[in-house]
Amino acid sequence: MSIEVSNLGVRVGRKQILSDVALCAKPGEVTAIVGPNGSGKTTFLKAISGDLPFTGMVRINGASLHGMKPWEAAGHRAVLPQASALSFPYKVREVVKLGLLSGRSGTTRAEQERLPEIALERVDLGGFSGRFYQELSGGEQQRVQLARVLCQVWRPVLDGQPRYLLLDEPVSSLDIKHQLIIMDIAAQFAAAGGGVLAVLHDLNLTARFADRVAMMHRGKLVATGTPAEVFNDTLISDVFECRIQVGVPPMGALPYILPQSAQL
Amino acid sequence: MAVREEMAPASSWRWRDAVDGDRSMRAKAVILALVALYVLLFLFSLGSGASDTSFWDAAVAWLGGGSEALSLRDRVVINDIRLPRIVLGTLVGASLAVSGAVMQGLFRNPLADPGIVGVSSGAGLGAITIIVLGGTVLAPVIGVLGIYALPLAAFFGGLASTLLLYRVATRRGQTSVATMLLAGIALGALAGALSGILVFVADDQELRDLTFWGLGSLAGATWAKIWAAGPFILAGLLVTPFLARGLDAMVLGEATANHLGVRVQRVKNTAIVTVAAATGASVAVSGGIGFVGIVVPHLLRLTIGPEHRYLLPASALLGASLLLVADAISRVVVAPAELPIGIVTAAIGAPFFLWILLRQRGLLDL
Repeated sequence: MSIEVSNLGVRVGRKQILSDVALCAKPGEVTAIVGPNGSGKTTFLKAISGDLPFTGMVRINGASLHGMKPWEAAGHRAVLPQASALSFPYKVREVVKLGLLSGRSGTTRAEQERLPEIALERVDLGGFSGRFYQELSGGEQQRVQLARVLCQVWRPVLDGQPRYLLLDEPVSSLDIKHQLIIMDIAAQFAAAGGGVLAVLHDLNLTARFADRVAMMHRGKLVATGTPAEVFNDTLISDVFECRIQVGVPPMGALPYILPQSAQL
Repeated sequence: MAVREEMAPASSWRWRDAVDGDRSMRAKAVILALVALYVLLFLFSLGSGASDTSFWDAAVAWLGGGSEALSLRDRVVINDIRLPRIVLGTLVGASLAVSGAVMQGLFRNPLADPGIVGVSSGAGLGAITIIVLGGTVLAPVIGVLGIYALPLAAFFGGLASTLLLYRVATRRGQTSVATMLLAGIALGALAGALSGILVFVADDQELRDLTFWGLGSLAGATWAKIWAAGPFILAGLLVTPFLARGLDAMVLGEATANHLGVRVQRVKNTAIVTVAAATGASVAVSGGIGFVGIVVPHLLRLTIGPEHRYLLPASALLGASLLLVADAISRVVVAPAELPIGIVTAAIGAPFFLWILLRQRGLLDL
């Protein structure tokens, strides 16, 4: 029971974007994918989401993604894309309700009536149901989309099978309070038995919330492990191509990275 | 945790949704009202026209109570002139409005309309081919297909242009509004040029047929036309309820629809064939009746929201009603002559289209 990726390769046109990626995202854990711009993080997530053709093997709870029907995949995982534009005047509630479309939220019909409001409350958008999606700020729209994604897999475990959140930069346009709220949702989803695989840019948030870190560089996976294992001066400096000192407080506290200590 | 207060509506007469943001009750109420509106327009159209056959005579005849009470003349007026015209107007109006709504869902933008982006021109090219060449080169085809030749040709013309348009305007599951509109212009021009060549070789009688057909009219409505085009239109309309869920999911893009468990390719194929069938058949029997597909869904989205399970049936009802109204206008303004109905819908629809463009300039991101 996990998302298992082995020997994954993605080619767009003539360019090999990803090659030989192997990763295992376990339920009960938040797995973060980090790396510099253009290192293939989003491509990796898209391949697992079924958006891009790939070579190699992706298994979700033991079943191969190849040949998995869209509705089966929709019961296993929900995907938060980087940006979602809408050209019709949908209300916030109507967007969130789209998450219930696959019918695998794991809730009863009566619960589903109230689920959009509960999910919105969860992402700190209580009372936004009747607002127009297009009139919200970028950060608010991102949280509406997360509420939609949460509705799709509301129960982290369904019929004894863990389910997964695939999040592409879920906190990229959020203020610090909402970054914490969203990462806390991810952590709680994992604590309840689900799995989370998230592309993250903020290494400090990653250090705080991720159980495992997968670091990508030029289309390859260069390291996996706990934040304390992966975040070391040499690796970070090599991958991000600038001199960085990782701050390591005593007594096993979380590593941190200050821009003040980084140099080109 | 601060919860932002919803701005209270300024006026108290506005509809308040039971659950904030849940417009389903409102949508159901609007659909009921549209049914009532349509029934009223149906009865009104049955009872009005150039002859003096009155509404009551019509009502009596319609209820079947006393067809003997009606004179032969009245019976002919009602059964063979007004009724086919109303039925054809209903079918054409419903199919144009629903085609518009489905296309807009498929292309994810409110400016897609069979008339504007060249689908009607493609269907028209198919129809013109049959009208002009039906007597000569294509005579064997007509022999086989009979009355279905015209709607079938229009269907394939519409299908080809819809497919081409979708290929050109959509890259990696995202549709560019500007590309779609520009490609639509090119497609329309190409179909127009080919149609022009056919018109050039047409004889006098065919030219007259073509001219009146091209202006868009319900005047020639006969039961024969309805039997020819009706099956295509009804098939298209009956498929749309199954599209609603998929089109809803597609509003966030094809990738997200796929994530939500929708078989995107199947939804796209069904939508394209549906639009081609409904538009093609409408164009075949009534010519170029424009702008119904853009006005109707847009007005409805403003009141009941964009969810397709309500939008599609409401569009069918309002489209049918709009066409009955436009037909009534077209018969009244220059009585006893008749204005082609396409002129009426264009006069209403074109300013409306400009108004949408002005209000939503951001859509074009030019």
